[in-house]
Amino acid sequence: MRRILWMLLIAAGTISQLPAQLRITGLDGLASKAKESVDITLDPAMLQMAGAFLAGSGKDGNDVKNLIAGLKAITVRSYEFKETGQYRMEDLEPIRAQLRTPGWSKIISSQSKEEISEIYMRSDQGKIAGFAIINAEPKELTVVAIEGAINLQDLSKLGGLGVPAIRVPGQAKDQGKDAGKKGKQE
Amino acid sequence: MNLDEELRAALRREDPSLGFAERVAAKAHSSPAPKAVMRFPRMMWAAAIAAVLVTGLTAMYEYRQMQAEHASRDAVIALRIAADKLNNARDKVSRREN
Amino acid sequence: MTDDPERFEELVREHQAMVFSMACRYLRNRALAEEIAQDVFLQLYRKLPSLESQDHVVHWLRWVTAHRLIDHSRYEKRRPQSPLEDAPEPASADSMGSADPLLSDMLRDLVAALPENARLVMILRYQEDLDPMDIAQALDMPIATVKSHLHRSLSLLRDKLSRKKGVGL
Repeated sequence: MRRILWMLLIAAGTISQLPAQLRITGLDGLASKAKESVDITLDPAMLQMAGAFLAGSGKDGNDVKNLIAGLKAITVRSYEFKETGQYRMEDLEPIRAQLRTPGWSKIISSQSKEEISEIYMRSDQGKIAGFAIINAEPKELTVVAIEGAINLQDLSKLGGLGVPAIRVPGQAKDQGKDAGKKGKQE
Repeated sequence: MNLDEELRAALRREDPSLGFAERVAAKAHSSPAPKAVMRFPRMMWAAAIAAVLVTGLTAMYEYRQMQAEHASRDAVIALRIAADKLNNARDKVSRREN
Repeated sequence: MTDDPERFEELVREHQAMVFSMACRYLRNRALAEEIAQDVFLQLYRKLPSLESQDHVVHWLRWVTAHRLIDHSRYEKRRPQSPLEDAPEPASADSMGSADPLLSDMLRDLVAALPENARLVMILRYQEDLDPMDIAQALDMPIATVKSHLHRSLSLLRDKLSRKKGVGL
């Protein structure tokens, strides 16, 4: 009996260390300061509805439908401000603290005095389980949380830029077919 | 071209057809008083309930379609924003390395 | 507010452009817009004794018109998915204020093809020149949602315009 209890405790400890879905918190109040803001939360049911709606709606719609096929949730909080100083980097700390927990790894990072661009990946039992994107500029702040598996190469094409492939640990390296191709950004 | 200005011009107010105000006022003053509630035969109640149900189901279907349309638009916007920021980050790293 | 018949007609004349245009921009159909505008004013006639001021009348008219329009579209058939290709005839030849009447017409079509709440937000912003706070009050909607609708709608419009006509924005 004692042995079973110990096993249960160890299992509980292991489970508690599994990375949880990213919660975008600490940004309350920014919407009222922003000149424009985007606040999107899509849960599994909404994603399924969106996928069904997009099916058969042409190549673009099918591209998006295929992208969201493996997703469980997408959350976007994006704010554009008229002036600088409307938020502090400390406001991002509750989010970045979650991204420092086991299971999350930073795969792209660019920091300067005034800007941060970071992309994190979450893995669960060796499989990709999600991504987080933080883009902080003086007059714009965007946080994106994606739960589920998504192909970053396919996602980057949706932006309209033919950037060279992004190597993600665990994903096959792109052969560079898009390398050097420039497109018009929408 | 400034989209804000063009939208203001495109959505500028305009008047309805000539005599609108007179027609509305005339109708308002000549509206009959509300009728007393009438008793309907049972068949008509059944038909009314059926109509309400059909309307309700149709409305529910329409509402679901609208939800799906909204969800799909949101999904497209969310992914475009994600793609934009992803490419942005990748560009910055590329520029730094070069 | 008075229920004097002549005063009522004056009120209608004063606010008919606002109510009619909201309906017309929302529905892209003049005849239907006049019907709905008429219904709104008939409702106003019954409500007038309880309205306290001109401001109250304006707020009430906007609120009722907006909700009538939403109710109306909930019971209409689903609009086509390609609003540009299947757009109804332009509801008005009005091209005042724009150097490009075709662009104005296209913008009206695009706005009319937006989801309901976003459409109303855009109409209140660009027809009525309300700021997001006033729009939030008029539609009983959180201000963040209003701003979100504005941002998304403008983004969609820019995207559609640049794809369809090569319009630079």
